[in-house]
Amino acid sequence: MRVGRRAAAVVRALWIVAILAFLYVPIVSVVLASLANTRYMRFPHKVWTLDAYRDALGSFTTWQIHSISLSIAVSVVLIATVLGTLGAVAFARYDWRGRSLFQRILVLPIFFPQPVLGLGLLLSFSAVGLAPSWKTAVIGHLVWIVPIVTLVVSIRFFGYDVAQEEAALDLGASRWQVIREITMPQLWPGVFSGMLFAFLLSWSNLPLSIYTSGPDTPLPVWLFTRTATNYSPLVPSVAVIGTAVSALIVIALALVLAAGKAVRRA
Amino acid sequence: MTHSPGPKFALPVAVFLLACFAMPIVIVAWYSLMPPRTFDLGIDLTLANYHTAVTEGYARPLMWSLLGALITTLGTALIAWPSAVILHRHAGRGATVVSVLIALPIFISESVRLFGMNVFLMPRAGILAGSLDWAFGFKIGSILNTWMAALVGMIYIHLPFMLFPLLLGVSLIPQDRIEAARDLGANRWQTFREVELPLAAPGLLIGALLTFVLSLGANAEAAILGGRAVTVITAAIEQRFNYAQDWPMGAALTMVVIIVTAVIVLPVLARLDLNRLTQ
Repeated sequence: MRVGRRAAAVVRALWIVAILAFLYVPIVSVVLASLANTRYMRFPHKVWTLDAYRDALGSFTTWQIHSISLSIAVSVVLIATVLGTLGAVAFARYDWRGRSLFQRILVLPIFFPQPVLGLGLLLSFSAVGLAPSWKTAVIGHLVWIVPIVTLVVSIRFFGYDVAQEEAALDLGASRWQVIREITMPQLWPGVFSGMLFAFLLSWSNLPLSIYTSGPDTPLPVWLFTRTATNYSPLVPSVAVIGTAVSALIVIALALVLAAGKAVRRA
Repeated sequence: MTHSPGPKFALPVAVFLLACFAMPIVIVAWYSLMPPRTFDLGIDLTLANYHTAVTEGYARPLMWSLLGALITTLGTALIAWPSAVILHRHAGRGATVVSVLIALPIFISESVRLFGMNVFLMPRAGILAGSLDWAFGFKIGSILNTWMAALVGMIYIHLPFMLFPLLLGVSLIPQDRIEAARDLGANRWQTFREVELPLAAPGLLIGALLTFVLSLGANAEAAILGGRAVTVITAAIEQRFNYAQDWPMGAALTMVVIIVTAVIVLPVLARLDLNRLTQ
């Protein structure tokens, strides 16, 4: 019995390790591929080098695709946070007659094939005379990301005690004071998670960008087209740089948040 | 209740979705009823494009996409079920760390991860083949540029979308129910079928729905890993729009996918209680 139990535990641990390997081997492979300087992949590399990173940082294209991705992601974060937070109030804070219908309609874009949504938007933009650019990509991303931000903020709202607001009002606080002193501080972690989701999902999105960004090429679209055709050793290094940039931005935001909290406490 | 401010707060999101989600679907539907190869919306409606879709072999890409989505859904479910059970019941404190590790790749672009899978699987001097040759001296073939590789890619990309809802589902199974079933003489399979599966059904359903719908439109996997060995429906639509410059035909194919999606999603969504799930 004891041996059987030990064996079962080992099998379970191996299963989890296998799943993690499945998920991470391709990511590690990108890093390994970026350390070569040859035109074609010949692994193991004869020479291990960071040349590709130097070339990537020296290339105008790298800066251009990053700045396009950043413009899209920042616009998406700003708009989706406002719309999503308002949406979450309607989704979770109040009970009203159309709420159940609103909730169901809101999740529809999440349960929708993204490339098909992108193609539908592309056709619609042409129909109304809107030339595709990074701005139309923002609209495309928002259709998918606003519902997700709404859900993320809503989760916070379901654990929120409305009675506190009433108590504050009874004690003579103004509506604005209630929002500033009671509602926002408690809702803020949800809103912040929503912002992070919006940023990361926009930064990494391929299927919507590919059809809606027109001549402006964001990072994932550039990587996709260069992988499918016209491969160069720049591809893996730009992939690593792009992923690292998004991780750094998220860490920086988290640090700013933590610092803000510390200042408020002091 | 009568003067609830709910509708006021719902308005911005509702207007946005109406303009940027519902309107485009209406425009696509309208284009799909236009005569072939027109670029303007008019009032001469025709079903010619749908007729062409049926007669000119577009059923094939649709079948590939449906089959791919089905295999992806089953594959991810088979991998995710034991993982969810282990994480929920046995991993203890490690569960959070493992869950975060599983979630992280969602935030790394599909382009990056599929490219990684591509260099890993590359024949001869790819990461896998090259390492094996270098370390043990044996040479292996590669599945890159086959439909099989595209399927592996689809399961790889969509696994987290199945795992997290399923984790939620598995957490809905009370441990004492399982023990009760075992005490009453049920074997492992019976316990799974009669107790665990029905109790975890809401999570499984959402995971399956999400995975199926997302992989139904999947295109990048077939392009980067499958080497276009098969034409999936999204690729067929894109071709109509871009190369053939036949918008109405592309629109008709888009509508077919939207209708298939609606038929699958709407009945399930109508039954789910979204308040309970986010709580």
